[in-house]
Amino acid sequence: MSNQEQDTVLEARGLSKSFSIVGAADLKVLNEVNLTLKESSSLSIRGDSGCGKTTLLNVIARLEPADKGTLFWGDRKIDAVSKPLATEASWRAKHIGVVYQSYYLIPELTVLENVLMSVRLSGLPITEYELRARELLEQMGVGNKSMQIPSKLSGGERQRVAIARALVNRPQVILADEPTGNLDERTGAEVMNLLLSSCTKEKTSLILVTHNPSFAQATDKTTSLKDGTLIYE
Amino acid sequence: MKSAWPLFLAWKQLFPSQRKVSFFSLLAIVGVALGVNVMIVVVAFMQGFQQKFRSDIIDAQGHARAVPLQRQLEWREDSQKIASQPEVEKVSAYMQGHLLLQNRDYHAVPFSMGIDPGQSDGVLPLNQFLKKGFIPVQGYDSKDVTPIPTTDSLEDDVVFITQQVANRLGVRAATVLLLDDQNFSINKGRLVVERLDPYVESDEWTIEFLSGDQYNLRNSLGSIDLNGSLEQIASDLGWGYPKFKLVEGITPLSKGDRFRFQTFRSSILEIYSPTMIEQAKSDEMAPPREVRVGGIFEVPWQGFHTDALIGTSRFMADMRGEENACDGFFIKFKTDYLHDENKLGELCARLEGYLEGNWRIIPWFVENAWFFDLLKFEEYLMVLIMIPIGLVAAFAIAIALMTTVLRKTREIGLLVAMGGTRFAVGMIFCMQGFIIGSLGALLGCGLALTFIRYRDVLMSFIVTRIAGEDGQAGVTQFYDFYSLEVPYPWESEQSMMTFLTFIVFAVGVSTIAGLLPAWRAARMNPAEALRSE
Ligand SMILES: Nc1ncnc2c1ncn2[C@@H]1O[C@H](COP(=O)(O)OP(=O)(O)OP(=O)(O)O)[C@@H](O)[C@H]1O
Ligand SMILES: [Mg+2]
Repeated sequence: MSNQEQDTVLEARGLSKSFSIVGAADLKVLNEVNLTLKESSSLSIRGDSGCGKTTLLNVIARLEPADKGTLFWGDRKIDAVSKPLATEASWRAKHIGVVYQSYYLIPELTVLENVLMSVRLSGLPITEYELRARELLEQMGVGNKSMQIPSKLSGGERQRVAIARALVNRPQVILADEPTGNLDERTGAEVMNLLLSSCTKEKTSLILVTHNPSFAQATDKTTSLKDGTLIYE
Repeated sequence: MKSAWPLFLAWKQLFPSQRKVSFFSLLAIVGVALGVNVMIVVVAFMQGFQQKFRSDIIDAQGHARAVPLQRQLEWREDSQKIASQPEVEKVSAYMQGHLLLQNRDYHAVPFSMGIDPGQSDGVLPLNQFLKKGFIPVQGYDSKDVTPIPTTDSLEDDVVFITQQVANRLGVRAATVLLLDDQNFSINKGRLVVERLDPYVESDEWTIEFLSGDQYNLRNSLGSIDLNGSLEQIASDLGWGYPKFKLVEGITPLSKGDRFRFQTFRSSILEIYSPTMIEQAKSDEMAPPREVRVGGIFEVPWQGFHTDALIGTSRFMADMRGEENACDGFFIKFKTDYLHDENKLGELCARLEGYLEGNWRIIPWFVENAWFFDLLKFEEYLMVLIMIPIGLVAAFAIAIALMTTVLRKTREIGLLVAMGGTRFAVGMIFCMQGFIIGSLGALLGCGLALTFIRYRDVLMSFIVTRIAGEDGQAGVTQFYDFYSLEVPYPWESEQSMMTFLTFIVFAVGVSTIAGLLPAWRAARMNPAEALRSE
């Protein structure tokens, strides 16, 4: 499916990151990591627990500064070492969607309001996106729960809502960090299929962190993170 | 609308979807409301007291007093000069000093004031004071039917005294009792005493009906025994005799109906003045002046002398042995000058200039500054005590919001990951403080308005509970709650200011209380927040 002529939506060059540990040597988590993500393509990252996958996603999303390296968000060049800026936050709101292992839905809001939070944060008009939000929920199979509060949903349902939330404002990239980690195998497979198919349908690029080899195989490119470097398989 | 989402989330955290209200926000809002309510009510009531004392004082001594800087022989002209000013409503000259009163072995030295009885509707509402001081005699087989004395009976050898002086000397004004009647019926016509002057003797009066419209009127002293018809019943026997009047009832009076009244003459006081002592030194011992007690008065302003006597100015002049004396004027201005103290002060200064500096004109608020300073001080002290209480409420809000921040660490991380700036994330908590403050202030104002609306019910409840039925009389002597004027904010600028001040205070303090948690949230490292368990 991938096409070499397609635009690059995300690129990382020479990302390095280490954490200082009290009473021990520095822990080098990322070491000169390079990564390129094209428009409408998907990439999976596998790796042992604690190898630095979440850290990599955080650095890419500029939630955490790196020690070294450069990022390209589309054609916007960012020094990955600097402290994250407020202007980057608003770019992130519009262009990056996130899905985490624990769903992080806001308990005070209904399912629909949760989905629409992305729209609010990116400063888009709510009324114009409400229909789309309902359609996405429908597509995720939780259309009938839109007025429920998250605490009344099952884990699988919550993650479906979280995926709808990540997609609703049409971001260019979705960063998914073990989205099925808390789900049983069957539900996990269902949710993963939904995530992959919606990304394809919405033409949204995806970086998927997962432990499950069969989920990883479903993406355009599979990589694994080992000793701080990203190995393309 | 880009920046509106923190407000949206702040609102939703206080009032979550699918639930009416969160327990925390309810408590916080009610807490703020109670604080605002108490502060407004205390200040508004204090201002109500001040207002009440103000009007009592103005009743008791007018808006200003003119005091001569040296003896003024031309005071009558000056009085007319003042009265001719367009701003001036009334001017009453007075004389004052102390007199020694004696009844048998009892003595009193009240503050004594002489006023012109022709000016009974002058600056001092003396008739009102007489009404307030009137206490009927209790009797088990008779009823006190004494009419309330008026300034009509203020003659040169009649004085009015306060209850304290009367008690000390064991004296009273003329009194008349209606003795119980066997054939009494509510429906029947009644005879009432319309006038009882200070010269009425102790006596017993009988009015007996010979037929439906013929009666016989007689007294036990035997000086009066006459027959009359109903048309004449209002006939006036003259000064020194009670004047009766018929109040018609449903069933007409008939033969055999009888009314008996017992009159008691007013006490006679012997009065000595300082001038008499001077005369005594030169061996011209003058006999004391004898006067009758015309009535008991009470001045509503407690700062007025409790031991006091009011007589005519001629009486005071006689006692002082001075002709043409005047110790000052009470001045009452037209009502525009009642509220604006600055304007009143300026006016007094202008009048002083107009009178060529011979008189000092002291406005009421200068004369009673000690008292109002005290009241103001009390008000400020209350506010000073309440502010820390308000701050305690703010601390409670700050702590509750801080807990929320900690509880919502991962949500905060997510909001940043979704593209919220740290500033905006902080705003969520700041705005919660703001919302709590605003709603609390609103509710508090509503409560305060309810308090002001039902203050009488509330106050009588509090006073009877704390002071008991007996103590209530004592408390109301100073604080007449039942007539306390507490204006609504739309009625007075001062009240509006009170409301606004405490609204701003509550909203401000609650918002500031939200700042610390907001700062805590904004400072959070999103990556760590997302990792936190
Ligand atoms: N703020 C930090 N300070 C110190 N060490 C950290 C910090 N954040 C992460 N680490 C360490 O960095 C390493 C990589 O962590 P990371 O969460 O990226 O791993 P991961 O690959 O996502 O693991 P998992 O699959 O279990 O989620 C871990 O050993 C972790 O202990
Ligand atoms: Mg991880």
